Amino acid sequence: MEVKISRENNVVTASLTGRLDTPASQEVAPQMNELAEEAGGTIVLDCKELSYISSSGLRLFLMLRKAAAEKGGKVIVRSISGEIRSVFLMTGFLNLFEIEA
Amino acid sequence: MNRKILTSIKALSLVVVAAVALEATALVQYYYSQKGMREEASMRAESQLESTRNRIMDVIDQVEAAVRNSVWVAQWCLDYPDSLQRVCQRMVEDNPVVAGSTVAMVPGYLPSKPLFSPYVCRSEEGVLKFLSLATPEYDYPSQEWFTKPVELGEGCWSEPYVDEGGGEMLMTTFSMPVRDRSGAVAAVLTADLSLDWLTELVGGVKVYPQAFSMLLSRSGRIMVCPVETLVMRKTASEVIAGMDDGEALTGLTRALLSGESGNIPMQYQGVTSYVYFAPVERTGWSMSIVIPENEIYGGLKRMGTVVLLLQLIGLAMIVLMLRSFIRSQKRYRALDQRRERIEGELHIANSIQMSMVPLVFPPFPERHDLDMAATIVPAKEVGGDLYDFFIRDEKLFFCVGDVSGKGVPASLVMAVTRTSFRNMSAHEESPGRIVTAMNNSLSAMNESSMFVTFFCGVLDLAGGEFRYCNAGHNPPMMLTDAIRALPVEPNLPLGILQGMDYKEQQAVLRYDDALFLYTDGLTEAENAVHEQFGEARMEAALHGRKSAHDHLENVKQQVAAFVGDAPQSDDLTLLFIHYLPVGGHLTLHNDIGEIPRLSAFVEETVQAFKLDDTLTCSLNLALEEAVVNVMQYAYPQGTVGTVSIDAALRDGALAFTVTDSGRPFDPTASKEVDISAGVEERPIGGLGIHLVRQIMDDVRYERVGKKNVLTLVKRLGTTKGRTNCK
Repeated sequence: MEVKISRENNVVTASLTGRLDTPASQEVAPQMNELAEEAGGTIVLDCKELSYISSSGLRLFLMLRKAAAEKGGKVIVRSISGEIRSVFLMTGFLNLFEIEA
Repeated sequence: MNRKILTSIKALSLVVVAAVALEATALVQYYYSQKGMREEASMRAESQLESTRNRIMDVIDQVEAAVRNSVWVAQWCLDYPDSLQRVCQRMVEDNPVVAGSTVAMVPGYLPSKPLFSPYVCRSEEGVLKFLSLATPEYDYPSQEWFTKPVELGEGCWSEPYVDEGGGEMLMTTFSMPVRDRSGAVAAVLTADLSLDWLTELVGGVKVYPQAFSMLLSRSGRIMVCPVETLVMRKTASEVIAGMDDGEALTGLTRALLSGESGNIPMQYQGVTSYVYFAPVERTGWSMSIVIPENEIYGGLKRMGTVVLLLQLIGLAMIVLMLRSFIRSQKRYRALDQRRERIEGELHIANSIQMSMVPLVFPPFPERHDLDMAATIVPAKEVGGDLYDFFIRDEKLFFCVGDVSGKGVPASLVMAVTRTSFRNMSAHEESPGRIVTAMNNSLSAMNESSMFVTFFCGVLDLAGGEFRYCNAGHNPPMMLTDAIRALPVEPNLPLGILQGMDYKEQQAVLRYDDALFLYTDGLTEAENAVHEQFGEARMEAALHGRKSAHDHLENVKQQVAAFVGDAPQSDDLTLLFIHYLPVGGHLTLHNDIGEIPRLSAFVEETVQAFKLDDTLTCSLNLALEEAVVNVMQYAYPQGTVGTVSIDAALRDGALAFTVTDSGRPFDPTASKEVDISAGVEERPIGGLGIHLVRQIMDDVRYERVGKKNVLTLVKRLGTTKGRTNCK
């Protein structure tokens, strides 16, 4: 699992690559926590290379979303696969996040 | 031994019965023949007696008639004595049977001539001689022929006598008294009958060559008999008295002279004869015919001898036939016993052979991952085919082989091969090395140059990994989505080349895949017109989803239908292995870092069960959530434990069982997450069990002993919670 963070025009983009399962979530949690500090702006989670997500991963997404809500920022989930979309659907995350193609 | 005696007794009694039957028949025949012959002899004797007597009587009658007819002439001539000679002359002249005749005056009747008896007789030359009997030497008044009629006053026959001084021959005389007018007897008129013709007539009667006839006078004097010296010299009684065993014959004499007819047996010097006798009326004679028994029964005795001889020959033949029959019986029995013994032994051999291969099906009833069936149909009592299989360390070892040739030799090699397979595979998991070792072992002791085509496989039941080695055998059929022959190295059959290195090959069996192993008795099964069953028919017979047992039965039926009445030409062996792994098993430490192993397990399970791989992602997610839950909540932080996961496919559903030994923890008891809640209200936790519920069709928790058992069921064919990982 790899998370690449890039910043451009006040937009922080985190590109997620690989499987975001429980161990991977634990692994990338510090990076995500760091990202939450910039939740006042716009955060884009690029899921183009994300192949799998479990509840631990979803929890990281939700924490980021809550931080953004607190700080008045915005989290955009971009390019999710059908698989992840269906997980989002099952968990009601489609309603919580702004989804971009 | 007992049997032998019994047979001999049977044979002996058969001979005895045959002999008794033959003898009885012969006796009956003999008895009736004897009776018949005796009757025939009686008939012949009696008819001869009758005809001879008639001929005698004929002559007697002629003589009597001649005398009676002349009496009145003589009467008339009494007054003219000189004419009496004339009467006699006429008598002799007119009656050829009369040898001589006289008119003898009662002495003193003629005053002129005290004795007067002119006699006329025929000389040997046939010339009449004129004589007078009134000579003192002759003394006719004392002769019987004279006294008797005078005494009786009527005609009568004299005893035979030799007339000396008269006819000079053996004769008998018929005399009649001639009465004068006063009725007193004045003279006696006689007619002599020469007995020469009688000898001829009676002596010529020959009923049988050795038979003879006799004529006795009233007093028993012998008138006619074969011994001429006895004639007129002796009476029968005198002759008999002179015999050694004469006493026995006195009864005979009495019977002969009784004036009756009949027959009587006679013993003389050890010879039995039958005497047939009949009286000659008026003369008081008795005629008899003596027939020795030998004469009567001679033919019968000869026939009896011939019959006896034939019987003996017949019996001897029966004995010979019985002996050869008994011998052949013994031989047959010995052959029978041998055949029975061989059949029995072959039967035992067949049982032993069959007991070498697994015969109980299903062979592993406790296992749900294998469905197997196998059969051997030997062409003869014992065959050279074999199959075998067993499970060791979760690996199925199996083989099929076909020994060259058939019958007992092949069966022995089959037994050796099977033993070798068991020996070599006891500690070895590589089919290549098993086959190589078997080949070395079989080649080393292969003096009969028999070889074995052999296929050996080792299937890892845990993962479906299949390694195999072929030694010149027909490639097994592999039934996956398609039916095709398993690619095999041809290699040499076992027992040909020692030291040969057999190459091993690999394949993977997935859920529902099957292997069909067979011997060439299947593909080369021939029908009546010598067509072979062939691979195409075999492949066609394997289509369709069936249990291993039904597959085999189907193939057997198809072959049987194809072959029809043609005899089975080769052993037929079939082995069907249907691989149905019920699932996998995985044990994890309660460490989140183990999760990738779980993912791999789920992926394998989906593949192993040939499930739609779009299921992989969602199943992975559900399992991960469930297992992570257990790791985080059942085991307090810092404790060490394990979580085991079992996957099973049954009843159209895939079931995962998650088991741990942690503290009681029921994830299904947690509250349902409100997925419609807003960002602020949304709790961080609870998503895991929510996803599990979303993906799986059934989620059940049970506390079993000290274990938490969580069962997750995914029904196949539903689209619930299906995700697409791609």
